[in-house]
Amino acid sequence: MLKKITGIFMFLGLLALPLFAGDEPKKAEDFTLEDYNGVKHSLSDYKDSKAIVLMFIATQCPVSNAYNTRMVEFYKDYSKKNVAVIGINSNKQESVEEIKDHSKTHGFEFTVLKDWNNIIADKFEASFTPEIYVLNSKFEVLYHGRIDDSSRENNVKSKDLRAAVDNILAGKPVVVASTKAFGCTIKRVE
Amino acid sequence: MIRIVCVIGIVVILCSVSGCAKKQEQSQNTLRSDVAVNVQPVEKLDEAGLKKLITERKGKLLFVNVWATWCAPCVEEFPDLVKLAQHYNGENVEVIAISADFPDEIDSKILPFLKKQQVPFKTYVGQFENQDSFINSLNIKWNGALPATFIYDAEGKQRFFTIGKSNFDRFKNEIEKVRGKT
Repeated sequence: MLKKITGIFMFLGLLALPLFAGDEPKKAEDFTLEDYNGVKHSLSDYKDSKAIVLMFIATQCPVSNAYNTRMVEFYKDYSKKNVAVIGINSNKQESVEEIKDHSKTHGFEFTVLKDWNNIIADKFEASFTPEIYVLNSKFEVLYHGRIDDSSRENNVKSKDLRAAVDNILAGKPVVVASTKAFGCTIKRVE
Repeated sequence: MIRIVCVIGIVVILCSVSGCAKKQEQSQNTLRSDVAVNVQPVEKLDEAGLKKLITERKGKLLFVNVWATWCAPCVEEFPDLVKLAQHYNGENVEVIAISADFPDEIDSKILPFLKKQQVPFKTYVGQFENQDSFINSLNIKWNGALPATFIYDAEGKQRFFTIGKSNFDRFKNEIEKVRGKT
């Protein structure tokens, strides 16, 4: 009888294993890219941050540009809470000079890195702009998706990125860890 | 006298030829304006409407392109969609497009674009509460990057999905593959 019960539990345990495995967050590998001034930045430089926000952005995408002010505000609000905010431009047709001009024009105080040959976009499987990944200090991806639920700021009902980072800062699990939105496809090298 | 008759004859011939050319030009203009007028009204599409479109196939294959006027590769790809719809005109292939612009931009952005492109197929604009569920209802693996294209067979089963700009030849090839399967 005891053997039977043990067997049933073992069977149930085996069934549960893939679920737990599937729920484990993906872990990002360390990488190094240059910003528009040619300064190198590695993901590991930010390991002491409470959260790392990677934003795949563009200079020419109207949806990404609709979020410029919101990105600036996000940086102002969260950089003082020890959250690292980093922009990544993986679009093949957007030059370093263009990224520099764009960042200055829109008052980006956060670092913007150039991802030549979309290598980092490929590693993260990022496909559109603006697309966000939030990592903890162990580089585990705890949130992936949009900044909020409307490119029109007046229509926003759900501030998904802020909610996810607030969860992390509070030491709580991220309630909504994945969201979707329409965006511009990242133009990759052929 | 014979000379005068010849000159008058030549003038008459030239006039008639020129008249024909004018008539032909007028006819072409009329055709062009007809096509422009025939751009179908843009309808708002919610998730229930999308589901109905996919499931009620009536024996036709469904080609769906999701695009937006602000999306440069979508705009570049659009003439190939027009060509595709013209190619399959009268056949059991229904081409539709769903715009990810805002529903209040039908008159200001969507229709002017469709008229410029002389779009012969039905176009919708997405009207839904939740972008996630609309995107997921087309394909769970799609994260919203535009343009995105989906092909459903005559039974309403999705057979093809791609994101990013593509072209007439690839779309035609994929449609033919699906037709071979159905």
